[in-house]
Amino acid sequence: MCVLPLVTLERVEKRFGAGPLVLDGINLQVTRGEFVSFIGPSGCGKSTLLRLIAGLTNATNGGIVIDGMTPENARELMFFVFQDANLMPWRRVAENVELPLILRGDPSARRRERVQHMLEIVGLGAAADKFPWQLSGGMRMRVSIARALSVAPEILLLDEPFGALDEMTRDKLNEDLLAIRARDPFTGFFVTHSVTEAVYLSTRIVVLSANPGRVSAVIDVPFAYPRPPELRETPGFLQLLAHTARALRTARN
Amino acid sequence: MKNQILSIVQPALAGVALLGLWYAAKAVFELPSFILPSPDEILVAAWDERSTLMAAAMVTMRGAILGFLAAVGVGFLLAMALGFSPRIKASFYPYILVLQMMPVTILAPVFVLWLGQGLPSIVAITFMIGFFPVVANTTMGFISVDRNLRELLLMCKATRAQEIRYLRIPGAMPYFLTGVKIAGTLAPIGAIVGDFLAGSATGGVGGIGYMTISYFSQLKTPALFATGMVACVIGFGFVGSVNLLHWRLLHSWHDSMVKKE
Repeated sequence: MCVLPLVTLERVEKRFGAGPLVLDGINLQVTRGEFVSFIGPSGCGKSTLLRLIAGLTNATNGGIVIDGMTPENARELMFFVFQDANLMPWRRVAENVELPLILRGDPSARRRERVQHMLEIVGLGAAADKFPWQLSGGMRMRVSIARALSVAPEILLLDEPFGALDEMTRDKLNEDLLAIRARDPFTGFFVTHSVTEAVYLSTRIVVLSANPGRVSAVIDVPFAYPRPPELRETPGFLQLLAHTARALRTARN
Repeated sequence: MKNQILSIVQPALAGVALLGLWYAAKAVFELPSFILPSPDEILVAAWDERSTLMAAAMVTMRGAILGFLAAVGVGFLLAMALGFSPRIKASFYPYILVLQMMPVTILAPVFVLWLGQGLPSIVAITFMIGFFPVVANTTMGFISVDRNLRELLLMCKATRAQEIRYLRIPGAMPYFLTGVKIAGTLAPIGAIVGDFLAGSATGGVGGIGYMTISYFSQLKTPALFATGMVACVIGFGFVGSVNLLHWRLLHSWHDSMVKKE
């Protein structure tokens, strides 16, 4: 059986202006339904890699093909979850989730239904009329995820979405993200500093080395979905955790 | 509660002290009423001249409101042009500055030549005084857009018009309202200065600025002071209304208004 890749990166290079090479020779093929994490030391260009796939910045060399299109033309298939929740402070929670639907011209009845549905999925049905400042960091990130998923994107790009949260909130949001993905499947790209998070969520982990960013190791995560929270305490999981941590250390040196 | 009482009692006591000082100065230096009228003489003059002062206040308010609305409206549109096109900004901003540097006392006779004595000139002068803070602040607001939110709209394939409507304008609102607030403080002063320089009494009565000249030339000093009192009331009313608008539009979300526990 031959599955066509949804996202292909071929010898991708990135340099900002006349600066040093940030990413060098990145090759990657991702099929529909995968969840790929990028992990690596600071400055390895993992966020840049995500932004390249999103078409928010252009590759200096090499090619990125998403479902047969350039990243810019494939935006319709994608949504981006930013590092901070990146909500509009003047819009209420429901209005923030509604925005992408307004921008693509959905009729208002369908928008309202979809927003309500999304807020319930992320467990914020009661917070629809609140303003972002009235929410905790974790809740704001939930709103951000609800907003991203409101348009049912085929590909979801997440740039360290839980980096600023405490461990307990992060674990909970990881579990919720898996539950959401089980209902509304999407292909995921995920940038993180956390090895646990990467192993728990991903089908594959791409370990990057820095200066310039190169693929140092690719680790397959064999655990089947749904993954219960307790998976994180099993020997198999801990073993893979150790393996990934070692790969990360190797990448750093 | 204690603070609330203090916040009333303290300025009240200070007021009594200042009034005492006023009467004392008048008595000690034996100042006649046409040099320094006493507060009670001013109140009596204000009562005697109430119909004239009311009418004058109306004239001034009309000039202030029209000039203020022109400053806010034109200022906003100008800021949009400046904020959305770096080329327009680079070309025209220096001349807006030139206009701002031009003293009103020089512009006033020009306006009188063009528009004649009276309301149109007063509105023009009020506009000239008020529009620059609106333009400067709002332009800044349109330019300083959150980069991440721009990228969000980029991911949503938002059109230029959508970006302006859903991001630029709401994002510039706090800046715009700061400009509006400043314009609101300046507008009554602008209208009075305008009236002083270009006012006329045709059609019955002049504005506060005009009455100031009139009372001065008749040495009706208590009434002259009363015009000052009326000007203060107008100013407070204006600033209060503008602040209320500012609060109404921002209190639910903006950092400057939001109470954080």
